[in-house]
Amino acid sequence: MDYSNLRRQIISMKKSLFDQGYLDEQFNQLEELQDDSSPNFVEEVVALFFKDSSRLLTNIEQALEKYPQDFYRLDSLVHQFKGSGSSIGAVRMKNECSMFKAHCNNRNLEGCRRSLQKMKREHATLKQKLETYFQLLRQVGPRERAVNSWK
Amino acid sequence: MASKNQGSTPRALVIEDIKVDSVIILRMLEKLNCEATVARNGKEAVDLFLKGKTFDIVLSDQDMPIMTGPEAVVKIRAMGATQVKIVGVSADFGGMEAFMQAGADVFVPKPIKFETLESMLQEVIQKKNMHG
Repeated sequence: MDYSNLRRQIISMKKSLFDQGYLDEQFNQLEELQDDSSPNFVEEVVALFFKDSSRLLTNIEQALEKYPQDFYRLDSLVHQFKGSGSSIGAVRMKNECSMFKAHCNNRNLEGCRRSLQKMKREHATLKQKLETYFQLLRQVGPRERAVNSWK
Repeated sequence: MASKNQGSTPRALVIEDIKVDSVIILRMLEKLNCEATVARNGKEAVDLFLKGKTFDIVLSDQDMPIMTGPEAVVKIRAMGATQVKIVGVSADFGGMEAFMQAGADVFVPKPIKFETLESMLQEVIQKKNMHG
């Protein structure tokens, strides 16, 4: 695949992630922090997020199945998930976390369960899309990634 | 940033238990030529001060295990660390009151913006240079 086609594909994919509401401006902030001295910064942070958030999702699921439910702990777990999601610009996940927290506040167990399923779907979808995005970026090489011309 | 100013490199303490968030703030501080130390909760932060460590700026998350950000701020101020700029950082806007009552200088919402951090560090450096 020639460079200009690849570049167009990367720009288009990133625009799509923003237009469809998967990512917000915070993701651009992360890309601004990437440079020659830290050319893989964004991919590393995103990988760290998915590693931590997968564990959090498991913890949330386990906490939901305990009886009686500890809504305070559930809220705390989702708060962590929401916080780190916001840090990478994962706006859809952040919004679903807000829904979950509202259900926790109302001690609505079924609402929490529904929200968790949505959070898991959003999590898996975003992970897949970003993996594809970073695969494309890797093809252009470290210097071009670091320069951040993908606006 | 520090290389443009006379005086030593600013020293920051980041109090944050979420790894993703601390990695991002540390990267921002690195780009701003700021030395940074991380504490994973309020108690670790307080212990650093008890060991005699000094910082020019503290960036503290609110909710952490063992000791929260506001709890740590109360203890840090009570130890006499009145000059250090303490910034409360939280995704929860309700955290502002808790931090300010605890003695923080300012509250910023999470995720913190690079420009906000840069502006706060410039203030810290200017103040540091004035006092020598």
